[in-house]
Amino acid sequence: METIYQLLHVTFANVPAWTVQVAAFLIPIAFIFGVYPAIFALTTLVERKALGRIQNRYGPNRVGIFGVLQPLADGLKILLKEDIVPRVADKFTHFLAPVLIVVPGLLVYLVVPVAPGMVAVDLKIGVLFALAVGTMSAIALFMAGWASRNKFSLLGAVRAVAQVVSYEVPTVMAGVAVIMAAGTLSTLTIVQRQGGGILNISNWYVFRPWGLVGFVLFVIGGLAESARCPFDLPEAESELIGGYHTEYSGFKFALFQMGEYLAGMAMAGVTVTLFLGGYMGPGSGPGLVGSLIAMLWFFSKLAGMIMLNIWIRGTWPRLRVDQLMGFAWKVLLPLALVNIVAVGFWHFLTPRPLAWVVTTGWLVIWFLVLTKCNASAILEKREYRYV
Amino acid sequence: MNIAFWIISAVAVLGAVLAVTLRNLVHCVLALILFFIGIAAHYFLLRADFLGTVQILIYVGAVAVLILFAIMLTHNVTGVDGPKELLGVKWWSGAAIAATLAILLKKAILSDPLATLLPAGDKAQSSVAEIGKALVAGWVVSLEAIAILLTAALIGAVVIALEEIQKS
Amino acid sequence: MNIPLGHYLILAAILFAIGLAGALTRKNAIIVLMGIEVMFNSAILNLVAFWHYKHFAVPTAQLFAIFAIAIAAAESAVGLALVIAVYRHYKSVDVDEMKELKG
Repeated sequence: METIYQLLHVTFANVPAWTVQVAAFLIPIAFIFGVYPAIFALTTLVERKALGRIQNRYGPNRVGIFGVLQPLADGLKILLKEDIVPRVADKFTHFLAPVLIVVPGLLVYLVVPVAPGMVAVDLKIGVLFALAVGTMSAIALFMAGWASRNKFSLLGAVRAVAQVVSYEVPTVMAGVAVIMAAGTLSTLTIVQRQGGGILNISNWYVFRPWGLVGFVLFVIGGLAESARCPFDLPEAESELIGGYHTEYSGFKFALFQMGEYLAGMAMAGVTVTLFLGGYMGPGSGPGLVGSLIAMLWFFSKLAGMIMLNIWIRGTWPRLRVDQLMGFAWKVLLPLALVNIVAVGFWHFLTPRPLAWVVTTGWLVIWFLVLTKCNASAILEKREYRYV
Repeated sequence: MNIAFWIISAVAVLGAVLAVTLRNLVHCVLALILFFIGIAAHYFLLRADFLGTVQILIYVGAVAVLILFAIMLTHNVTGVDGPKELLGVKWWSGAAIAATLAILLKKAILSDPLATLLPAGDKAQSSVAEIGKALVAGWVVSLEAIAILLTAALIGAVVIALEEIQKS
Repeated sequence: MNIPLGHYLILAAILFAIGLAGALTRKNAIIVLMGIEVMFNSAILNLVAFWHYKHFAVPTAQLFAIFAIAIAAAESAVGLALVIAVYRHYKSVDVDEMKELKG
């Protein structure tokens, strides 16, 4: 915000100061409300096309050339649908849930920097803010499922809440590793710490042993928190019809889809910021050209993360509930804790090659131990008959 | 900034009142969440950013969800409480005790010279690093005690809730 | 911000009284726990208000607030586990019905 303010202040020197202030306040908001929903609309199309390719079919190709107008047609169709509220539903909560579900996703973008100095609010506790706001979506999901007065909705809601609460822990722990290495909670500073090196690339945290582990943990946790495949148990069609949004139709249903995608994209944005160097890349830096290149880098990485999510969705089977919980508490959480210790090794072992060897060895040993310990649980034969 | 104080206070008080008076348990929890968010906003207003975020992370993200789970595991899931609870003798006596306490506290607060204290000028924001350093330097014993307490509480909660299943 | 400290203290007192009223008047054990949470939060708000107005230079009050939040979280976890255990035994969460000391 400060950067935009200074930029505007220099460019429009002769307009009153308060208009510049208001503009500097409104531009980031307009950016967040304009760009990310547009990316969401684009993502729905790209996702359907990509899933079509993965499943050996065409995907949408009727509206416009190659189906590019499909999001528009979808939006129009969903606006014209009747809005049905169940007679026994808790009307107020039922109405409030789809509104609330969009909010956390949008709030996270406040602290995601897209170019040098270009962050809506440079909070000193940016990472913590993003993680804290992300957990609020659990409440909205629960409200939706509970207010519908439908057993499938409620089951979906309970699953969603349990899942979000469980995966929050390893996700935050994976973030703690980055916070320790960067020594700050500000997202802007974390991105700056990842600059320099070879081509602005070699210092990205993902190219560290602990960073790679943290990255994988964070991506898995992000998928689970935004209830995307393979963690989409809350809305498992074959088991729960539509999960928490079974009783929603029309625009409210569209809001659910939007909230889910925005949350997923927000997690992707935070992942890019924490591990993939944010806007850092060859050519990004201060100044107008550098900023534009930086922005290009950021959105390319965001698109890459979204494509990774789509790829995972198209190719991975859904987990079972007990597998889901076991994976979070028995594999991800110990690995995240071990990863924090690895950052300590990285920080205190002085010759860099030694730090590389020790950290990698430590993580590999623990990974093998965890795999060994959980092997029987994964391969256990299960009896589904009621006795 | 004054208007922010009054709005946030109104939200917090509204959330607290609704949380303890509404008939439906789930509505109570949702009102409680409103109250938690109001308190978090107060922390932000008092420049304790870290605490405000911790408040959201722990209370909204964990404690409220825990209470929702407890309701799901105990009550009928519609959350409707028994109808004959409000406005009995117990209600009036409890409300009277609470009101007396509030009035007495208000008198005590207003009689103290501290009550008119204003924040001295524009102060720098407290840094998280400062809190962290104090936590591991001067208060490390308390930190460890809290860590042990949390572990004990975690194990205790699981043991208490699991007991009946193991017996049967 | 030129709100005097007394405003925050009175706000915390009112919230504490509301929480106390909830804990005293309601029969449902879960709502009693919620009233206790309200009281906890109002007390912590007091701590933070005092920190902001009087002891801004040192972060000790914030540490106390963090400890208090941690203890409150532990308390609610154990409390809700107790409520669930009691519900399994009595098939009720009404605090007035929990009169026996024997399990």
